[in-house]
Amino acid sequence: MSASQSAVRSRAEAVKVSRTFDWMILFTLFFVVLGGYHIHYMLTGGDWDFWTDWKDRRLWVTVAPIVSITFPAAVQACLWYRYRLPFGAVVCVLGLLLGEWVNRYLNFWGWTYFPVNFCFPSNLIPGAIVLDGIMLLGGSMTLTAVVGGLAWGLLFYPGNWPIIAPLHVPVEYNGMMMTLADLQGYNYVRTGTPEYIRMVEKGTLRTFGKDVAPVSAFFSGFVSIIIYFLWHFFGRWFAGTSFVSSENI
Amino acid sequence: MKLLKDKVAKLSFVALLAASSAAMLYTPTAAAHGEKSQAAFMRMRTIHWFDMNWSKEEVKVNDTMTLSGKFFVFQGWPETVDKPEVAFLNVGEPGAVFIRQGSWIGGQLVPRSVSLELGETYEFKVLLKARRPGDWHVHAMMNVQGGGPIIGPGKWTTITGSMRDFVNPVTTLTGETLDLETYNLENTYFWHALWYALGLAWLAYWIRKPMFIPRSIAIESGKANTLITATDRKVGMAFVAGTIAIVATAMTSTNEKYPITTPLQAGLLRGMKPFEMPAKTVTVKVEDATYRVPGRAMQMTLKITNNGDSAVRLGEFNTASVRFLDSAVLEDTTSYPDDLLAEDGLTVSDNSPLAPGQTRTVQVTASDAAWEVYRLADLIYDPDSRFAGLLFFFDEAGKRQMITVDAPLIPVFI
Repeated sequence: MSASQSAVRSRAEAVKVSRTFDWMILFTLFFVVLGGYHIHYMLTGGDWDFWTDWKDRRLWVTVAPIVSITFPAAVQACLWYRYRLPFGAVVCVLGLLLGEWVNRYLNFWGWTYFPVNFCFPSNLIPGAIVLDGIMLLGGSMTLTAVVGGLAWGLLFYPGNWPIIAPLHVPVEYNGMMMTLADLQGYNYVRTGTPEYIRMVEKGTLRTFGKDVAPVSAFFSGFVSIIIYFLWHFFGRWFAGTSFVSSENI
Repeated sequence: MKLLKDKVAKLSFVALLAASSAAMLYTPTAAAHGEKSQAAFMRMRTIHWFDMNWSKEEVKVNDTMTLSGKFFVFQGWPETVDKPEVAFLNVGEPGAVFIRQGSWIGGQLVPRSVSLELGETYEFKVLLKARRPGDWHVHAMMNVQGGGPIIGPGKWTTITGSMRDFVNPVTTLTGETLDLETYNLENTYFWHALWYALGLAWLAYWIRKPMFIPRSIAIESGKANTLITATDRKVGMAFVAGTIAIVATAMTSTNEKYPITTPLQAGLLRGMKPFEMPAKTVTVKVEDATYRVPGRAMQMTLKITNNGDSAVRLGEFNTASVRFLDSAVLEDTTSYPDDLLAEDGLTVSDNSPLAPGQTRTVQVTASDAAWEVYRLADLIYDPDSRFAGLLFFFDEAGKRQMITVDAPLIPVFI
């Protein structure tokens, strides 16, 4: 076969090759994103995502969505503008969650014996579906950033509340009141994670009393909008081909 | 095409084999916590642990043991380490092999961080419940914000039984008794599985159709608008609306199921009650101190004055949790860890009883392999070459008093 001849001889064969490439690219994309996004999220979200006694109504709600909208925005930009495929956010979050669950189960539980009910990851899928859905329906980066980014922040806490609410039931322990999540953090000794580095319930949002979670979620949504724009452009740049010489194509 | 697939399959298999081998063939056991690697000056000049007691050396799963003792917050705290204004009484153990059922400083429960005062002694206790069988090195530990973990002495403790039998029952303020070891696990799995399935469903909808090459060609040829069909939009709307509906419904039903919830509890505990040590009647001045590198021995010239009404003798020098004893004065009866105990490691040039009102200058030598084993000799490489420790004097009635020493240390290499 010379360089000028086609690698395929029929339409059927072309379709078969195309689908094979589909699966190879999707498989590679999934695991590359899983690795990159997982490291990114561990470095930026870290303990907020690791432990139930960090999942509070102020900082976890604020930080986790802001640092997690990054890869979804970038991958969404690539898949939408290059292929009109609106599953960038979902594929990222599915990859992240798979990696996180493997990590939590094999490392946190399997190696260091922390119960899974203490170190499960946050649920990001509701926000990812809505982010992709808005990109599909609007076809606009601006609309997705503003509406989808805000929804990403707003849906985070209610999307996780059914999982963490049972751990916010109060308990009296040796004369002090704490939540079950606090008790988990106290019972299951973390040698390298002393109590004082736990960044929970800090800040000055005191005038909102107990209803601080919605305020934190709105703030998180607003910042997520900005982060979405930033990472969307990273994705656009990364998905470009301007850095490949046309002579080599 | 088959050739390509075969190559990918072969390479994947080789990569998997290499990764598995790398992960499994060499997995040494981590036996301790790197306490010997911590800078010597940190262990010598920050928190001094003493009167340590591990109530049991062997304990069954679900049984408890107590780790107790006292710690002195050294007044000559090094400048390079943040002061313990925010600190946390911790336990050094390899994972949650014991759970911490309670920890107290001066009788107060300390599930949170505390503020400690320099120059004060505190009594502490940690109640541990055995969870995972094995031989574990269990340390007392004080985490200091800006200073890191300051590790205390560790002792090997054996847990017997099976982890499957471990339970951690808790009764909530709403009257429910639960096992915290497994509580909420099914609920967590359920919600994560449900949402993961919905995410996969969204992905499946899009990947069932040709993806990358034909769609890229369509976009390049200006047919991008043909790639999203009306059905696609309807499915998208259904997913968005369904997601919001599920989130809202789940939130409402959760609030109905758990009407009483509280925020996470946090905050600094101040005003820890110090332990009242016996009044000091002995004064000690360090005239000089040297560390003889080849001999693994530290020598101090001490000028000791007894201002009390009973003769005293020096029985122990304690630094970085290593105890150097003069066995003629003091014998350990607490089963202190062997590697941290030099039973005859303390030599005093004249350790006859020092009568009330008398002053004497003596040469005190603390020698043991522990200087090397615990890397305390590395002190000579510290930027601020000083040592510190606790001296314990005993009077005729056996009463003990604690004196702290803090002085420059000169290394001797020849």
